[in-house]
Amino acid sequence: MIDFVNVKKAYPNGTMALKGVNLHIDDGEFVFIVGHSGAGKTTLMKLLLREEKATSGKLIVGDYDLTNMSNLRVPHYRRELGVVFQDFRLFPKKTVYENVAFAMEVVGTPRKKIARRVPAILNTVNLAGKQDSYPHEISGGEQQRVALARALANNPKVIIADEPTGNIDPKMSLEIMSLLVKINKLGKTVIVVTHEKSLVDYYKQRVVSLRDGYIVEDRVGGMFSEKI
Amino acid sequence: MKRYNIFYFIGQAISSMCRNGVMTFASIAVLMSLLVVIGGFTMLVVTIDKNLEQFGVLNQIVVFCDKEASEEEIVEIGDTIKKLDNVDSVKRITKAEGLAQMQAESDIYDDVTEENNPLSDSFVITYINNEKVPELDYQIRQIEGIIKVNNRLDLATTIESLKSGVMLIFVWFLAILGVVSVFIIINTIKLSVFARRNEISIMRYVGATGWFISLPFVFEGVIIGLFASATAYLIEWYIYSYIETAVVTEYLQMIEIIPFSEIKFIVLWGFLGIGILTGIIGSCISLGKYLKQ
Repeated sequence: MIDFVNVKKAYPNGTMALKGVNLHIDDGEFVFIVGHSGAGKTTLMKLLLREEKATSGKLIVGDYDLTNMSNLRVPHYRRELGVVFQDFRLFPKKTVYENVAFAMEVVGTPRKKIARRVPAILNTVNLAGKQDSYPHEISGGEQQRVALARALANNPKVIIADEPTGNIDPKMSLEIMSLLVKINKLGKTVIVVTHEKSLVDYYKQRVVSLRDGYIVEDRVGGMFSEKI
Repeated sequence: MKRYNIFYFIGQAISSMCRNGVMTFASIAVLMSLLVVIGGFTMLVVTIDKNLEQFGVLNQIVVFCDKEASEEEIVEIGDTIKKLDNVDSVKRITKAEGLAQMQAESDIYDDVTEENNPLSDSFVITYINNEKVPELDYQIRQIEGIIKVNNRLDLATTIESLKSGVMLIFVWFLAILGVVSVFIIINTIKLSVFARRNEISIMRYVGATGWFISLPFVFEGVIIGLFASATAYLIEWYIYSYIETAVVTEYLQMIEIIPFSEIKFIVLWGFLGIGILTGIIGSCISLGKYLKQ
């Protein structure tokens, strides 16, 4: 369960990125966050990742109150999330297997468990057989699937994807989105930040539209909003 | 309880050091120089101190009693001196012992016998504090039966100032070189952090704790410290052995020098301690912001 209650965010330079956001996302939901540049999508993401703190209001993700959480608890909170970025952020000198295993190593997962889990996740994202390849040896879509596998590695409750199809071709984009939907059906909450109208319209999930720091539309089974 | 493999951190540290080879080398070289200078200065100060002890009289006053004083009066003088402030110890030298010492030093006193011994009984007083010597000197002169008081306060003060001067230079050298070393290590670690910034950002997103992110860099500091102290120890050993040989066999035989074998462990542990500590401090300073989330 994710709850934004009248969340405002002002940056030190005076920019008011979010001007009072109220949003409730239930466990297991699939939500598109849409909006043009400067609408507040990135800030909303940063608040969810606890890269930034809300200036006022309340933000609760599961058992964590992000507005009052101490820095010491942040790593433990982030283990509940899986994050996918537009630019994949893979390690070029690590193989597909190592890239996924890395996420588990940093949280202290035993080697044997890593060896069991990584192939299973790679299978989920249709990358079985690619585990010894390096990122430069696979396509953009496959690289994003590695990033997705890494996001799933620690079995998070929430997957946050920031423009996951921004750097890949339309066919691959559909494949990534299908994977996200598949992951959502496994019970994970999936939040996708995007501005790709065709994908949003195609999947007909809940769409939250942001403009100038406000939520201007929130529709289940909706289309890309015309209001933004 | 999840366990982390220490070799993972060491491996990360070593690969990072190789990636920034030049800065790593610079850090080791500067820290090593610092340690060699610290070692050199410390040994210089210890040697000066040891050689000054040979004079043995810098913190001593010698008083001579009246020749006519009886044995009881001399004993009483000794007891009175012992009760004074700033007195560490009092040693009586009888006139017979004084004569024996003089005859041992030179044969020109061979004709002097106990009957015509011109010496009087004396006391060698070892005091605690140089600054209170004028007061002690005055108190001793007030004791009946004492005819002469010899102190070497001027010489002691001069040598004390010399020692303080050497120590002052030593401390400044240490401070400057310490700051330079920490600064260079900070830059080396910062370069490592910069080279691994993507990795660090991913680590943070997948929930790595601050110490998990920082530990490879702290290990890097420790390894730099270890290399620097080991090299500095070998250099110090070589230089010291060279000086030791020179002192024993050639030019400076009047100087007493402590054999390196007697101090090798103190030097080794001292170097390791300072080297590793400097490495850790450098790492922690450059990682400050990564320890916050």
